[in-house]
Amino acid sequence: MKRLELSTRAASTVDAVPFAELAEHPRARGVVLTSDIAWDALKPYLARLDLIVLTFPIFRDGRGFTQARALREYGRFTGEIRAEGHVLPDQANHLRRCGVDGVMLGENADDAPWHRELRRFSTVYQRAIGDVTPP
Amino acid sequence: MNAPIGHYQYDSVDRDFLAARIDEFADQVARRIDGALTEDEFKPFRLMNGLYLQLHAYMLRVAIPYGTLDSRQMRMLAEIARTYDRDYGHFTTRQNIQFNWIRLEDTPEILRRLASVDMHAIQTSGNCIRNVTSDQFAGASADELVDPRVHAEILRQWSTLHPEFTFLPRKFKLAVSGSPEDRVAARFHDVGVIARPGPDGTLFRIFVGGGMGRTPAVGKEIFDSVREEDLLATLEAILRVYNAHGRRDNIYKARIKILVEALGIDAYREAVLAELAQMDMALYRLTPDMVAAIRARFAAPDLTAPPDATATFEADRARHPAFDRWTRSNTHPHRAPGYISVTVSLKPAGGIPGDATSSQIDGLADLADSYSFGELRITHMQNVVLAHVRQDRLFDLFQALDELGLATPNVGLVSDIIACPGLDYCALANSRSIPIAQKLSARFGDPTLQEEVGRLRINISGCINACGHHHAGHIGLLGVDKRGEEFFQITLGGRSDNNAAIGEILGPALPEDDTVDAIARIVDRYLSIRELGETFLDTLSRLGDAPFREAAYETA
Amino acid sequence: MKRPTRLGEGQKLILTANRLLDGHIVWRDAAGQWRPSITHAAQLDTDTAQTALETLDAQKEGVVGVYEVAVHPGIPPSPVSVRERIRAFGPTVHPEFATELEP
Repeated sequence: MKRLELSTRAASTVDAVPFAELAEHPRARGVVLTSDIAWDALKPYLARLDLIVLTFPIFRDGRGFTQARALREYGRFTGEIRAEGHVLPDQANHLRRCGVDGVMLGENADDAPWHRELRRFSTVYQRAIGDVTPP
Repeated sequence: MNAPIGHYQYDSVDRDFLAARIDEFADQVARRIDGALTEDEFKPFRLMNGLYLQLHAYMLRVAIPYGTLDSRQMRMLAEIARTYDRDYGHFTTRQNIQFNWIRLEDTPEILRRLASVDMHAIQTSGNCIRNVTSDQFAGASADELVDPRVHAEILRQWSTLHPEFTFLPRKFKLAVSGSPEDRVAARFHDVGVIARPGPDGTLFRIFVGGGMGRTPAVGKEIFDSVREEDLLATLEAILRVYNAHGRRDNIYKARIKILVEALGIDAYREAVLAELAQMDMALYRLTPDMVAAIRARFAAPDLTAPPDATATFEADRARHPAFDRWTRSNTHPHRAPGYISVTVSLKPAGGIPGDATSSQIDGLADLADSYSFGELRITHMQNVVLAHVRQDRLFDLFQALDELGLATPNVGLVSDIIACPGLDYCALANSRSIPIAQKLSARFGDPTLQEEVGRLRINISGCINACGHHHAGHIGLLGVDKRGEEFFQITLGGRSDNNAAIGEILGPALPEDDTVDAIARIVDRYLSIRELGETFLDTLSRLGDAPFREAAYETA
Repeated sequence: MKRPTRLGEGQKLILTANRLLDGHIVWRDAAGQWRPSITHAAQLDTDTAQTALETLDAQKEGVVGVYEVAVHPGIPPSPVSVRERIRAFGPTVHPEFATELEP
């Protein structure tokens, strides 16, 4: 796996445990949040977390965008948000603008379309939480 | 050129955005062709640029935001019909136009040509916020309280490539009206917005969870009086609840209406209020400056008419009975003295609802230039409106329309039929919709008969997805497949106005020709039992559907 | 796209798809070529159709959405369903849009 940067926030090096195990690992500083769990389940833990990994079971499952944006806007989370699973280069700007910092890609994945997307638009039509930290 | 009348004027920022969006799509097409994107991955991206793979070919649905376009844009649509299609365009119930015979490899070029006149196909399909619809008489109608186009444009921009709401559980349709008379079917949209003036600025009444399809639902009021500055925040909150909690396991249960039904409107409202309580409102505030900046991009027509305009018009009516009849059905009162709005029917007897040839499209553009400040609107009834016509010039316009074969006097009458493309074009349909629409409009083609019958709307859908809005038809027809044969289920009593209701099934489905006969008998029965001044819906609500059931299923 | 096709007495299966580049409906002939007319579509039994569906490579052959269609054999074969007859011969409205058939 390799990591593609969407923001300037430094990548975290901590390990992520599944959300279900978070309560039993009081020293865990990273968590994997699947798309079926509402962001606020993480509320009691946010202060100690450095990394939240959002998983996309399929690229069409857009819940991760709402999770990421809510973590930033409602949870004021300032650690790393990372996307994993089935995500496509065409979603690079959506992820970035919702506050996602990086995407995990397969070792052989082509980065070029991701970089093309990140450079593509000079205009956006709405203010978004992730616009404050462009790559 | 000067700012167009009726729609938002693009600037270089908007044009740069469109160019980038087309480059992105061209990139996606190239990745699809070389195999980097599978068909399953490509499909949502092509849909979000209006490109379907339909029954015979690709189909391109071009956005006409809030149904309004200018003559230059209209001519480009004609040019696309001629160059890339088979010389036809098809106007849709979402105030858009679609082309049925498009090649994937031509699409980036078509999009570039559209962009050259500030048009696009963005979000005319896909599981995202769709093209915003509005009142076809916006800014013209005598009964209007707030011109809804400014807010419709604000919503168009806000929804364009929205970072959070582009991969929703299912499609999401918005309509905006500014009139007390609902002409946008606000209660049949995922979100319907009705604007009115308040003591301190515009207020918005918002309905959620309406829709047609397999599970038709009349939208419920979620808020009565949203302030303008909170409009975007409120819509964001409504969509957040939907994006997080809408079902994704079954596409037939994925629309917001299912979630609203499941939670109940009160719980949905609570969830939205909980979002609003946490939101960083500064990020979403729609300020008076922002509204003013959008409003400034709309040019206003100079609506001065000679003092005798109305007298001339009345004299023309008295002299020409055919013109007088057309005036009765195909015009709408204008707010300015001496002006009137015209609905051009695209429903000739025996024709295909919503179809127009490139020469008709060009002809309409020319007439818009001559008679309506170069501005046109597409209606959700699949007709075309020239909104600002001087009354003393109306007779000339009527004659010019007649020469184009576009003077059918049937707007709002029984042959003004709404039909989806059906199995002749659509990959989802179970039955054809167009042939039965043609038979019905031919059957009721006589203008005297239609006027006698009065306001009666027939809607035809070729499958349960209900693109022909049969649930909202005074008479609705739903095509079903019975062992390889096309049958039609009849519903009565649907309506999409302020008293929105879903039509009720009358009885067993009938084969096509029997359905046409049954509807003729239903109409005959109505004529024989109505009381003075009653519309079809009035008689139906007074007597129930029993007399019509008896008529429909009577065997000769 | 995948639904089991039950064949009636004397019916056969043919394979259809749309061409990726232009969306045109195509039918697969006995040599494995995709042709824009139904006339020479290979008329297959259930097993051969199944094998062909499993082995062909849509991406390489430049087609989308391959599936099988039940037909009454003949030249041209006649699809059993209204939907597939409309696909094979064109919309029933606008006669000028009828699909041109190879002889």
